[in-house]
Amino acid sequence: MATKEELLELLKDGVINYKEEQVKEAAQTAVDDGHPALEMIMDGLAAGMEVVGDLYERHEYFVPEVLMCADALYLGLDILRPHVPKSDSGAVAQVVIGSIQGDVHDIGKNLVKMMFDVAGWEVHDLGRDVPLENFVKEQLRTDAEVVAMSAMMTTTMLGMKKVIQMIKEKNPNVAIMLGGAPVTQDVANLFGADGYAESAGNAVQEGIKMIGRLREYEKKKAD
Amino acid sequence: MAELTPIERVKRFFNREPIDKMPFFTGMGMVLLPAIKKLGYNFPSVHRNAEKMARSAIESARMFNLDSVVIPYDMCMESEALGNEISLYEDSEDILYPTIPYKSWQEVDQVEITQDDIDNVMDKYPMNLLPEAIKIVKTEAPDLPVGAWQLGPFTQCGQTIELDKVLKAVFKQTDLVESILDKFSDMIINIGKALQAAGADFITLREPGVAADLLSPKTFKELIQPRLTRILAAWEPPKVLHICGSTDPLVEMMWQCVVDSGGQGVSFDIKNNLLETRKKLGNAAIILGNFDVFQLPCAEATTVEQAVEGIKTNIDGLVDAVWPGCDLWPDIKEENLKAIEKTAREYKTGPTPAVGRL
Repeated sequence: MATKEELLELLKDGVINYKEEQVKEAAQTAVDDGHPALEMIMDGLAAGMEVVGDLYERHEYFVPEVLMCADALYLGLDILRPHVPKSDSGAVAQVVIGSIQGDVHDIGKNLVKMMFDVAGWEVHDLGRDVPLENFVKEQLRTDAEVVAMSAMMTTTMLGMKKVIQMIKEKNPNVAIMLGGAPVTQDVANLFGADGYAESAGNAVQEGIKMIGRLREYEKKKAD
Repeated sequence: MAELTPIERVKRFFNREPIDKMPFFTGMGMVLLPAIKKLGYNFPSVHRNAEKMARSAIESARMFNLDSVVIPYDMCMESEALGNEISLYEDSEDILYPTIPYKSWQEVDQVEITQDDIDNVMDKYPMNLLPEAIKIVKTEAPDLPVGAWQLGPFTQCGQTIELDKVLKAVFKQTDLVESILDKFSDMIINIGKALQAAGADFITLREPGVAADLLSPKTFKELIQPRLTRILAAWEPPKVLHICGSTDPLVEMMWQCVVDSGGQGVSFDIKNNLLETRKKLGNAAIILGNFDVFQLPCAEATTVEQAVEGIKTNIDGLVDAVWPGCDLWPDIKEENLKAIEKTAREYKTGPTPAVGRL
């Protein structure tokens, strides 16, 4: 029978080296043996993703590798997440996420979504090519604390400004995150957004850094 | 001597012959809202109508004194010809380019590009509109050179299959990806030849899907560079290679593609460190781009003075022509683009690194 430490290592290694079967088997074993699911997610899957972030920053990994690592992570997450007690996950918060109308690119959006999924947020993924008013409707319906929008092209970026105006008019406390290749800090400021990630690559770094901070937070909470 | 016409200027420019002044032109999408409005068209209608495409392209160039007309506008035509449905957003009040909301090939191993697709792509709608549009431009604006463009095989692959699937398949199904890229390359070669036969005066191969923030330089060298070289080599000059995104690690390989294929220029977006690129490539290389297509001509907050300063910085970066780093966004501020054009012509009148002056 594998120890907790061995399973954590298998999960971590499986994410780093995109070994999907290894991740599935280790996650299932962890569940069957009654190991704490949240710890398996944070110190196994998320820890692996942090290493992936380092590899990406050092230009050893590029987007294809990160996508394969993300696939492996999700296979583990799908098995482990239902076993996290509600009191542990704390149902942190809700986010509405999507790629803006006119834009069918969603790699960056999906990587940011992964960050929220790992963190245990309730994610309302509207997909891509999302009509502007749907972001507003979904935020009002769910009362989500964060709305995250992505645009890969300059030609669609301006739609974000309209959505921010519409949402802030109705609910000024919603935090708005923008992402995508043409979005700069200046653009995010100009549009009245609260945060931004400039590209799929940047989303990888930012998303993974947030996972790192979340792991630190969970550790402090446990101490 | 008399001022050169735009077509004379651009042809001499690509031949590295001395010209009268800094060219201000592009080989990537350029259809501008003031021109569309003047003609009484709406934005969705110019994409799938040869006459409207041609007239709005000419008017866009004329209104802002640009040295080229560009056909086509959007990146979905080939995918549509292969059977995908597109969204034109005809009911939207915003400026939205066509997209492919659902791709009929969901996995890489479902891709089926037949020899008929490759050989007869120009007979299929909407590709058959392009030669017609180019011929109208050549008749009605013979003084303006026509720039045509094609997406590279990897980016085109991402227009017909989901890009994340393609990116992963580069590792998981390498042989299959190589075979698909070869078929797309054959198709792109045929399209480029047809556009040139219809009258295109220069052509740009655009491969934004392979920038170094997506694929590794190693993958670029092994998988992409040979195919870009093959495509460019099959076309007549003048020809330009453009990549958006992170290109600093790729510039030497990009230039090698151009040299090996008898091409003329290389183009980048704003993420490229132009001065470093010039050092790496030397003064023989025609270097284009690096002009912020949103911030300078479009952003509400950008004043005319800021736009002028921005274009001076672009010229100081040792470009050989003022050439937007990507598609010009249609909703430009007229006063900014006019000031950009004026500055481009007047700011520095001497030779650029690769092209002399009369």
